[in-house]
Amino acid sequence: MASKQVRYEALVRALHGDLFRYGYWLCHDKQVAEDLVQETFLRAWRALDSLKDEKAAKSWLITILRRENARRFERKRFDMSEYDEMSVVDTQAIGHEQDLENEMLRDKIAQLPEEYREPLVLQVLGGYSGEEIAKQLNLNKNTVMTRLFRARNQLKESLEDEPMFLGQFN
Amino acid sequence: MNERMDDLQFRRSIYADPSSTDQEVLAAKKADPAKQQFADELIKLDLKIHRAINVDVPENLYNKLMLKQTLASHQQQKRKNRIQLAIAASVAFTVGLSVNFMQSSNVYSDLGDYALAHVNHEAHLFSNNSNAKISLASLNKKMSTYHASFTQSLGKLISAGECNFGGLKVLHLVYQGKTQPVTVFVVPSKNDLDFDSNFSHGNLHGEAQQFKNANIVVVGDKNEPLQQWQQKIKQDITWST
Repeated sequence: MASKQVRYEALVRALHGDLFRYGYWLCHDKQVAEDLVQETFLRAWRALDSLKDEKAAKSWLITILRRENARRFERKRFDMSEYDEMSVVDTQAIGHEQDLENEMLRDKIAQLPEEYREPLVLQVLGGYSGEEIAKQLNLNKNTVMTRLFRARNQLKESLEDEPMFLGQFN
Repeated sequence: MNERMDDLQFRRSIYADPSSTDQEVLAAKKADPAKQQFADELIKLDLKIHRAINVDVPENLYNKLMLKQTLASHQQQKRKNRIQLAIAASVAFTVGLSVNFMQSSNVYSDLGDYALAHVNHEAHLFSNNSNAKISLASLNKKMSTYHASFTQSLGKLISAGECNFGGLKVLHLVYQGKTQPVTVFVVPSKNDLDFDSNFSHGNLHGEAQQFKNANIVVVGDKNEPLQQWQQKIKQDITWST
């Protein structure tokens, strides 16, 4: 069995990107996402011995990250000056990508209700099946499929309202 | 299995998972070009969603994560070392304290108790028929610390060592006795111990006499004429100061 250090390095290398993206779509802030990922991997390092199956690593890390994010909200309750979550998208971070369409779509994804967005991100980012998402989010599969349907439906409709997307999905 | 998926059902399935490999969905696409087209559009949309969701990952994030872990495990190691050090220190402290306590605490307050305790404690070490014999010269060498010497030997000396009466260094002499070894203690007179001229416990009894520099205590079994011993000591001992 590989040493703890080697396992950890492999885990970070393989999964930090997706975990960061996942965190980003939870909080819409690159800095906060980075903090979340750091805290997640730190906890993962301490608890690495409890991870028996490397195939389950991604779900395990996502679970830790979601818990960290929930903690952040508990802490935030005491901080009344927090901004309105939905109105802030990290435009600075995506501005340099000069991809207007992409930027707009990110905007729309960020505006999705969280309960729709999260299954979508898990599906697209993690390649998870309906069952897997249901397990991760502690929902039943039908609920997940309905939310995925609504997420895409809303995205499609909101894009069709944008002039530059007109006619694309007809 | 339904003969054919209805349109709503199909749309719902495609929206939920555009790249579904469900047999029914695949069959429906094949059977109906409009459905196929709809599915293709959704796949196109999904590619865009995929691209949008794949935000850039900060370049140095991997290094930051490794650094953080290295620091954390270093901290952990340091903490571990500190704990080990603290345990070692506290063990050493406790040992030191108890040795100190055993040596200097006044478990007994009088001379007789100490003498009896030492004789009892060391009884198994000395046999009355021991072949060991310590010369008068080497005894007197030890006696010099106590500013005393013997002009002749009191008897067959089996052992001469030092022991400790509640922190006080005492010369511990073991002589061959009638049936059991006889123990003679030379106890410097500068001590806080209560003086007891006669004492006994079980089979052992003891007698002590005071001199200028030291108290001499003799302990033996009931067969031993301790008074004779003390008499002889008084005759043969000389004090240097």
